[in-house]
Amino acid sequence: MEALLIKNFLRSKGLMAGLLILFAVGLISLNIGKHFLDKNREIIEKTARYQRESIARNVEFHPKEIGLLLYYVRFGLVNEMPNLSGLSIGQRDINPSLQSVTIRNLEEQKYATDLMNPMYQMLGNMDFSFVLIYFFPLIIIAFCFNLVSEEKEEGTWSLVLSQSENPLKMLRIKISIRFVCVFLVLLALLIIAKIYLEIPFDAAFLAFILTAILYVIFWFALGWLVASFHKNSSQNALVLLLSWVMLTIVVPAGINAITVNLYPVPEAFGTVLESRDGYHNKWDEPKEPTVAKFHKHYPQFGQFKHPEGKDYSWLWYYAMQQMGDDEAINQSRNFKEKLKKRNAFGSTVGMLFPSIHTQLSLNALSLSDMDNYLRYTEKLESFHEKKRLYFYPKIFTEAAVSGENWETFGLEFYKETPNINWAKIVLPVLIISILCISWAKLNFKTNMMRR
Amino acid sequence: MRIDILKLVSKQVWSSKIKNSGTIWLIMIFNLLLLFALFSGYKNLVNQQETVEHYSHEVRERWEARPDKHPHRMAHYGYVAFRNRFPLSFFDFGMDSYLGNAVFLEAHKQNTVNFSEASLSNGLLRFGEISAGMIIQLLLPLLIFFWGFDLVAREREHGTLRILLTQGVSWQELILGKSLGLFYLALTIFIPSVFLGIILLVFNESTSQNPQGYLRFILLIFGYLAYFFIISTLAIWISAKSKSSKSALTVLISLWLFFTLIFPKVSQVVGQNIFPSPSKIEFDTTIEQELIKQGDSHNPNDPHFKALKDSLLNAYGVDSTHKLPFNYSGYVMREGEKLSAETYQKHQARLVETYQKQQNVVRFTAFLNPYMAVKNLSMALAGTDYAAYNDFQNKAEDFRYKLAQTMNELQMKYISNKVKNSADKKAVISKKNWAEFPDFHHQFLGLSEVLKNELYSIISLIIWTLWMFFLVKYSIKNLKAF
Repeated sequence: MEALLIKNFLRSKGLMAGLLILFAVGLISLNIGKHFLDKNREIIEKTARYQRESIARNVEFHPKEIGLLLYYVRFGLVNEMPNLSGLSIGQRDINPSLQSVTIRNLEEQKYATDLMNPMYQMLGNMDFSFVLIYFFPLIIIAFCFNLVSEEKEEGTWSLVLSQSENPLKMLRIKISIRFVCVFLVLLALLIIAKIYLEIPFDAAFLAFILTAILYVIFWFALGWLVASFHKNSSQNALVLLLSWVMLTIVVPAGINAITVNLYPVPEAFGTVLESRDGYHNKWDEPKEPTVAKFHKHYPQFGQFKHPEGKDYSWLWYYAMQQMGDDEAINQSRNFKEKLKKRNAFGSTVGMLFPSIHTQLSLNALSLSDMDNYLRYTEKLESFHEKKRLYFYPKIFTEAAVSGENWETFGLEFYKETPNINWAKIVLPVLIISILCISWAKLNFKTNMMRR
Repeated sequence: MRIDILKLVSKQVWSSKIKNSGTIWLIMIFNLLLLFALFSGYKNLVNQQETVEHYSHEVRERWEARPDKHPHRMAHYGYVAFRNRFPLSFFDFGMDSYLGNAVFLEAHKQNTVNFSEASLSNGLLRFGEISAGMIIQLLLPLLIFFWGFDLVAREREHGTLRILLTQGVSWQELILGKSLGLFYLALTIFIPSVFLGIILLVFNESTSQNPQGYLRFILLIFGYLAYFFIISTLAIWISAKSKSSKSALTVLISLWLFFTLIFPKVSQVVGQNIFPSPSKIEFDTTIEQELIKQGDSHNPNDPHFKALKDSLLNAYGVDSTHKLPFNYSGYVMREGEKLSAETYQKHQARLVETYQKQQNVVRFTAFLNPYMAVKNLSMALAGTDYAAYNDFQNKAEDFRYKLAQTMNELQMKYISNKVKNSADKKAVISKKNWAEFPDFHHQFLGLSEVLKNELYSIISLIIWTLWMFFLVKYSIKNLKAF
């Protein structure tokens, strides 16, 4: 019987064409991912060169005052992009993966965006995760919507019931054949991705594969459940397509709308104003309080004083810059908290919906999610702080520019290994799939003999 | 073609569908979704408008409250401009969430417009947004296809088609009549949202300052009506062409996928690859290198500015810049600002041109894809497209330039050449000057400008509509009655 079922399945041209199209679209998506990775690599290489050139030029232009030199010099920190993010680009095309900052106040610098065509961002990437989340279910729907009903509509169901002892077994084989075909396409794409995008075979990739497989399993489970109701083909198709529209379009968009309304972020604008005033207003105020505040923040620099009667000193200047950050710190912290809340809300509610959960998990594993960006921003803050602490004493003691080996200041890298919470990744979709299958089992028991 | 027959056929479609409780449910679900989308969109808009108003006010207050000081310090204190939303933007979010909202404007430097909604969002936003525009452009066609796929094909399968045709109904009447029936069904979802849209538009205070919002909404309605007609006719025509209702459904769903998912994404990738655009770092570096070549206005020995100085001294017949009748360093900065702003604008214009070329690739697909046509038109009319954003960016840059130059001119006029630096007591001017500098107000693009930008979309909607009539009229020869 298996052989016959396989033959029957392989013979339907439409379904085979569907698989082929899916495979082709998958290949295109891999190419898009590759292109994205290459472009990122190119940006990093170019920036490394620009940084070297720009430091050399500034050292040449401002050889006398290290305080003035550091007004100009930029230091870059790269948020390293694993090759896996070629498969799930996530927020990486919105948030920059590289920031170059001077040691002046960070608040004015850290929200700078990259240049991107917003039309491009709106229409979105067609990366592998998109193909997985949108296109794989469609093929699965096409494979499953008439699993039982085609037999009924073609009049073969009575034959099956009368000739086979276990009609459920036949259905199981039927769906297994379909599952194996889709699974093979998925596997082929992932293997090609591994080679083409040079993805290391590590825990993150393994979890990525597992997530993708689970998502496919979920859709088969749903197809199985719908088949178990023994409705006709067009009803099944309607239910499955409706589920697809709900899961991939309506529900995520709805949750997003709720998130935006629940957690508006006016702090974003507040930080800009606070940090601007925190710094600029100090120009018009007496210098002593500014310097005193600076000393309070950094007691270790207490020995450096603003020379009395002088109109200007680098100590005072950088103290003013420091105030730009210090006075915006509450707004800035609230802002970050809000973003974290938004994230937490999205990912918690998302667990109930396999499409959302899969997308967010894939992004997290590829380090292309919001959390990664927030951690990178924190890293950028400490990177910036380190640079400050290194240069502040040199500026205050007016150390010679030539005393520093400027060539050592290349790009620095923030490398993260994803923290894999296997239970959180696997369980939600697994439980939902098991529920579908169990429900289907009950249905099959009661419905099986219906003609 | 007889009107009464058309009426009869369309009425038959209408009553056979409306009898079905499933149809009523779907209509209700869609209306609820639209209700949710319109209200949450509106709430979001009002929130945004209030935030922008609050902070713009605050920016102005802080600006005017600055004490007497040196004008160049004021140029560095700068301004913050916030992007306001067009009153109709609640109807179609377009690319609003991907556009920056706040930009810090200061002398010498063009900052990026930051804090787009997307930059504050986790991955959920990438699934798309629920706005009335999205439901009507993306989901409603799917529903129309569902309602329409078997309208002819099933009649053929049941043999009733032959009866209809032998009774004297022509193919044209049949297809157009059924299309109209579908079209009316679509209106049960569209019309309530139009009414709600108008109410929300009237409610919004900012509409009274932008009365063109009403006109834009009317044009938007026409655009959508054309779209529904195209989609309905397409559904019926495919249903008539297909061998079975099943294959009609397959074709229609594939078409929907192509129109709404595959085409837009692929054309966008193609556009990106044909017209590559620079990254921020490349963009900035190119400008920086060009500026270095032109000269450094802060460096007194720079050859460009030295030549400038010599010609000035000559013209005024003095031997030192101290004797010039205006503040020399203000003059130099004015020249420097002019040069750097020109250079920036040249590159910015080039960048925008590249973006527009990329977008045009997507725009052109409207001739193959009515979804893209209506999406672009709707976005533009709702004021959430790139042109509206680009206009904001330009106005903000104009404002920045004016601010910097006004401060430079104040410096030239009031600051003596003898002061040592900006901390000098004699180097301050009255804070009255700050209040005299006008606030930033962004006027939205005029309607004619908007329509000019969306010429392709408008033409392609017209062509699609005509094309549908053409299909109904001429391509019925090989349709089969059984």
